[in-house]
Amino acid sequence: MKATAWLGVGLLLLVGLAGVLTGLLPEAWLPYDVVADVSPDQAGLAPTAGHWLGTDHLGRDVAWRLLLATRAFVGPGLLACLLASVIGVGAGAISGYLGGPASALVRYLSTVTASIPRFVLVLLAIAINGNSTWLIGAVAGLAYSPAVAEAVFGRIDSLKRADFVLAAQAHGLSPARILLYHLLWVNCRRMVGRHALNLFGYLLLLETTLSYIGGFGVMEPQPSWGNMLAFEFGYRTANIWGVWAPAVAIWLTIFCCGLVSEALAERRRA
Amino acid sequence: MLFPILRLLAVFLLTLAGAVLVIQLLLWASPGDPVDLVPNGDEIRAQLEQEWGLDRPLPQRYAQFLGRAVRGDLGTSLTYRPGATVTELILPAAGRSLRLLIPSLLLAMGLGIGLGFATAGRTSFVRRLAQVVSVAPVFLLAFLAVHLLNELAFYGMEAGWFGRPDWFALPDTDSALKTALAIAVLAVGSGALAEVHAAVEDEMVMLRNAPFVDAAVARGAPVWKHVLWNLLPPLATIAYGRAAFFVGGLVIVEKVLHLNGAGSMLWQACRLRDYPVALGITVLAAAAVCGARLLGDLVRIAVDPRLREAAQ
Repeated sequence: MKATAWLGVGLLLLVGLAGVLTGLLPEAWLPYDVVADVSPDQAGLAPTAGHWLGTDHLGRDVAWRLLLATRAFVGPGLLACLLASVIGVGAGAISGYLGGPASALVRYLSTVTASIPRFVLVLLAIAINGNSTWLIGAVAGLAYSPAVAEAVFGRIDSLKRADFVLAAQAHGLSPARILLYHLLWVNCRRMVGRHALNLFGYLLLLETTLSYIGGFGVMEPQPSWGNMLAFEFGYRTANIWGVWAPAVAIWLTIFCCGLVSEALAERRRA
Repeated sequence: MLFPILRLLAVFLLTLAGAVLVIQLLLWASPGDPVDLVPNGDEIRAQLEQEWGLDRPLPQRYAQFLGRAVRGDLGTSLTYRPGATVTELILPAAGRSLRLLIPSLLLAMGLGIGLGFATAGRTSFVRRLAQVVSVAPVFLLAFLAVHLLNELAFYGMEAGWFGRPDWFALPDTDSALKTALAIAVLAVGSGALAEVHAAVEDEMVMLRNAPFVDAAVARGAPVWKHVLWNLLPPLATIAYGRAAFFVGGLVIVEKVLHLNGAGSMLWQACRLRDYPVALGITVLAAAAVCGARLLGDLVRIAVDPRLREAAQ
């Protein structure tokens, strides 16, 4: 992989670590109190040693809120990736191995779920079941899994009569080993990884969008990169980072997902 | 010619029926009771359960919903505009949304083709730039564009360069600029432009290496004509592949830029827990995506005789 891709991996790991830590640690252990930190006399300060990215128009520390906002999408994003990968790989492998009606079913399901806009489906789900970022992750993961299944199915279907599979069979390897190692692990892991990365980026997009528009997603005073943007809109304070920090964070994280996903793409031999 | 069209129509209907089933399954699997969502649900519980078919098992409920939807009956609005039928609410709104959706799809394809022609086969600065800009979510692009335009107008007015522009301050005023902004943002954001561009470029690289293009070059015939005509079938595939993303993005754009259409109506219906309206718009969105797919497939078999023969 190229150096830029490794940079992307590093940044994603940092964001992931921040999200996992802020999500798992008890609220009392965190050195920052989301609700208490309102000080109008410090509103809109430019970056200082005490406030690395300055303060917003209520005098809240932008850097801390930026960091805490990662817990809104990292956990749900990982949940979505897990659901989509497990269900997608499972269904794809089984249908690819069996062929026939199972493969037709996977293709049909994939077409059907692709015809309902995912954003609309997620919106409908949280409107009915109540607002929760975990639910957003679960629905997005489930809705994405047929796409993964179709991709895995296509790969396995095209490879299951390849020479290396015949050779493995001739060596007397068990079908399970051929399927799990030779077909899935060796030939599908990068593809599934790419799908997972794209889905993670998509979940960040979903969460920040919902939180930005407001009414769903993360609500004030809990921070999200989306509602931080919305909250500063229209306030002309001295601290431009109140707007630019979350905007850059969203942009950079999704860009890194794309960058790493691109680096994972197998080069076709010409 | 007739058989492939009938086949496509059958696929369209099957896909749409499947999409409605997925939506019904989502409702069915939801632990909550939809009647509880209605403000005065308990008073009219019996009536609602009968109307929505909640007192019946899933297959019957599904058949009932489908049967009514075919006749254009998607129920009655509860809280968005109480008493109005869903169909009369959502159809005009969908018309307004289509006026954003179709231009933005066309713009994305146009930009993709233009950039594809400019950069085909080589990694260039233009291509990277398109990727970097396009990666931003739709709402972020809309936010930044509105923010920058407002700032510019503000400074311009303060410096006395111009009077108050008729669109100031976005997004609170209705103007042609806002509509244009919505179309552009939808065509570029959330990876739309980057994906269309990449797909167009892949197709172009393949086409440029095709034997019939070599033949055209040898004959001295114009190459772009051959490339463009053969690009049409894959373009149709790319366009309908993106249709679902555009419909989803429409909800965001309409909401962020305060535009009046089916997308903002869906959001409002979800906020007000107006279950029939939200459901109706979701079904309509699925129908729009399936319709785009049908249209794209029709273009493909109209342009490519090989596909017609394969379907016979």
